[in-house]
Amino acid sequence: MAADLAKRRARGGVIKRNVHAQSGPRREYLAFLLAGETYAAPVKEIREIVKPPPLTPVPRAPDSTMGIVSVRGQLVTVIDLRRRLRLAESQASRRTRILLVEAPWGEQLGLYVDEVQQVYRLSDAEVEPAATALGGDVASYIAGIARPMQQVSTEGGGGEQPPVIVLLDLQAILAS
Amino acid sequence: MVDTGDRARDEFFSEAQEIVEGLGRDLLALDEAVRANRIDPDLINDVFRAVHTLKGLAGLFGATRMATLSHELEELLDNLRLGRIDVSPVVLDMLFRSIELYGRILQVEKDGNDQPIPEVDELLRELHRGFGQREQQPLAAEYDLDPGLLAVLTEYEEHRLRTNIQSGLILYRIRVHFQLATIDQALDELKVTAKPFGEIITYLPTGTGADADSIELDILMASRSSVEELRRALSETGAEVEEIPRRAGTGGGGGGGGDTGAFEGGGLSSRPAMAPAGPISPRSSDSGSLSAPPDSATGARKKRGELSSIRSVAQTVRVDINKLDRLMNTVGELALVRSSLGAIVERLRATPAEREMSLELHRLQRTFERHLAAIQQGILEVRMVPLGQVFDKLARVVRQISRDADKIVNLVITGAETEVDKLIVEELSDPLMHMMRNAIDHGIETRAEREAVGKPAVGTIALNAFQKGNHVVIEIEDDGRGIDATRLLDVALRRGLITQDEARTTSYREALTLIFLPGVSTKSDVSEISGRGVGMDVVKTNIGRLGGVIDVNSEVGIGTKMTVTLPITLAIISALIVRVADRLFAIPLANVQEAVGLDEHTVKRLDGREMITLRNQTLQLCYLTRLFGLDEEEELSARLAGLLGGTRSLGGMRAGITGSRKLDRSSLGLSPGSKRKYIVVTAVGAKRLGLVVSALIGQQDVVIKTFGPSLASVRGFAGATELGDQRIALVIDAPALIFEVLSGSDRARPEPRGVHG
Repeated sequence: MAADLAKRRARGGVIKRNVHAQSGPRREYLAFLLAGETYAAPVKEIREIVKPPPLTPVPRAPDSTMGIVSVRGQLVTVIDLRRRLRLAESQASRRTRILLVEAPWGEQLGLYVDEVQQVYRLSDAEVEPAATALGGDVASYIAGIARPMQQVSTEGGGGEQPPVIVLLDLQAILAS
Repeated sequence: MVDTGDRARDEFFSEAQEIVEGLGRDLLALDEAVRANRIDPDLINDVFRAVHTLKGLAGLFGATRMATLSHELEELLDNLRLGRIDVSPVVLDMLFRSIELYGRILQVEKDGNDQPIPEVDELLRELHRGFGQREQQPLAAEYDLDPGLLAVLTEYEEHRLRTNIQSGLILYRIRVHFQLATIDQALDELKVTAKPFGEIITYLPTGTGADADSIELDILMASRSSVEELRRALSETGAEVEEIPRRAGTGGGGGGGGDTGAFEGGGLSSRPAMAPAGPISPRSSDSGSLSAPPDSATGARKKRGELSSIRSVAQTVRVDINKLDRLMNTVGELALVRSSLGAIVERLRATPAEREMSLELHRLQRTFERHLAAIQQGILEVRMVPLGQVFDKLARVVRQISRDADKIVNLVITGAETEVDKLIVEELSDPLMHMMRNAIDHGIETRAEREAVGKPAVGTIALNAFQKGNHVVIEIEDDGRGIDATRLLDVALRRGLITQDEARTTSYREALTLIFLPGVSTKSDVSEISGRGVGMDVVKTNIGRLGGVIDVNSEVGIGTKMTVTLPITLAIISALIVRVADRLFAIPLANVQEAVGLDEHTVKRLDGREMITLRNQTLQLCYLTRLFGLDEEEELSARLAGLLGGTRSLGGMRAGITGSRKLDRSSLGLSPGSKRKYIVVTAVGAKRLGLVVSALIGQQDVVIKTFGPSLASVRGFAGATELGDQRIALVIDAPALIFEVLSGSDRARPEPRGVHG
């Protein structure tokens, strides 16, 4: 039930191959859907992707805490990224996933996303720093805006790619 | 995935911690010995050795601060050992300070920050300044001791000899014959036998009378006992005991007095033999009157330590508690597997064709169950540590505080061997420390006050621990001035913590529990008048977090007794599983008195609170659906959306209940098919609260997992537990709920009360 990233990658086709080698280091980002928009976070910060186990809400917990789940016997607090980012909530579907990440204080937390899409390898040139582009109080959660140049299609002939990906600063989100 | 460096570092920390703890115990014993004026040289040697080991460890791990401190302490202790300085209160204080500082250093090292600890530098300066060393007098020549022997005594042995002579002990020469093959063991046995009678100062081979396989030793011993007593005691070892006479002129009889001769084998260094003793003194006849409590010591232990191999003596392993937690976790998972297996067995049994196989499987399952229970029990036992660990720390605190407060306190500890889960022991130290401090600061009166009311000048604090069923009880009892409940009521009233009516009807015992209210604690006038109060709310909260309760009993002028009752282990508890709306919750059985059906018609509403009368007592109710903001309708739709664990398989749940000792159905009010709600009567001390739940599911032994830091601010839950099928039930923190609801902070009150903080 827990498909880890390595396996996903091994299946192939998910990673955007950059045909024309570009200069500069590339970082891997995992893209996912939140309320219909594409967001992404650095792959190395995501420990695991799991299908949501039965979720137990915790009364009196902070608003954006969805509840707790058990991942192989370990309790994990699940945070609703949509609520943290003030986005609309959507129906739970078969594609919803929980991303396991480690908070700065060492606790393992789950981030609830509507759907995991794919891994992008992005060079710095493809990332626009967000600070200048955005205002509002969620601005501090956003690390940048990515506009992937390579549009090689993947998975099931989906030719439609999101033109803009919002790169999230997970540590900032978790620390809030 | 811990690299070996980290592993070694962890080992270093736990080992150093252990040594420091041992050091603390030794110092306390030393402190006591000094006060009783009976200093066991072994104790000083132990302290010296501990510091020496710490120095080595610190050097190995580059903990320079610890190494420097150890080095200076070693110097001080060496001087103590050799009698160059006395074990004065000043010296003892320094040693006690160094223990606290070791703790701080370890913490700082562990955190990896390099923050300076000014206290260490200060202590180092003081240590470096040194103490005036005493002039050593030449060894008293009043005994007929061979100068050859005196010449080979080490400085330590010389000091011990001098000390013993000064305290008027008789010197004996004991000649023994040992086989070379078994000399180590034989010598140890002799030392153990001799120890109650006095101190062995040194032993030397005589170099004569021995064949190739055996060795003759002369042992120089100081004792209060008569020669007959010694002979009797040592008769089994075949030792010849002779008294070394005082000033009996030069020793008569030759016997290899000047023999030196290198001695091979036996691991003993070659030394000139001891002079033979002269005629037996007639003094021995009257020395019987001297046989007071025998002085206990063997100064030669250090030598033994150096000779011993590097194999460790104790057959123990140090285990990181987290590893045990993980094991326990796995066992918990296995328990879930067992439940699922049980369900399969049940299903198979219903199929006639598979009857045989189902029986076989059933047997297997039973075996599995038994082994699983054994593993669970085993892990629990491993987690258990004696309360003595925390009591030792408390004893140090008592010493410190009583010094600071200038009150003489006698601490009497019983039950230090009582075992509790390691995690509980850790969490206990702060609350106990606090109570101890209160007992001395506010409980015990000053010397003058005590004498004025005819109490003994020395106050007594009893620290008792004992096991009571599945619980451990810890009592801290002082014979101080007690708590004035009337004044407590008064202050609580003025602070608006209770109403006039409540003040009138509050019983004496209830009034005492007011000290646990945070509002009372912050008022300095209360702590001055009544004593306790400072932070007792915090103490209560912390104890409550451990699933424990605290009770107070006090009589003005007589004393105060705090009783803490704790579960033996946090890892597994028996819980009552209940349904609230469509969610499952677990209520620790330790907090449950009974469960009864709720008849809505009998509920009275009073001042916004719901009450019923149960067995002629008023019981306040708390509707958990309301408290937790649950709504049956909403829950239902959410569950349909597939989000919640919910009651999807309550039947399966019931199968998963495997509690060994189920409450009988009537006491739980289990009546299948009923739509009535139920009241679970929970209690903490004298306080009771009826939690209204939708249904009672049953009893189950559960493994409690605490919430992560992200949910630390959520009140009312002690954690969560897995029920199987990945479903989770939140564990209700009944003491917290009782406190919260009964103190009224769950509702808006006309006047602000500020109880909850």
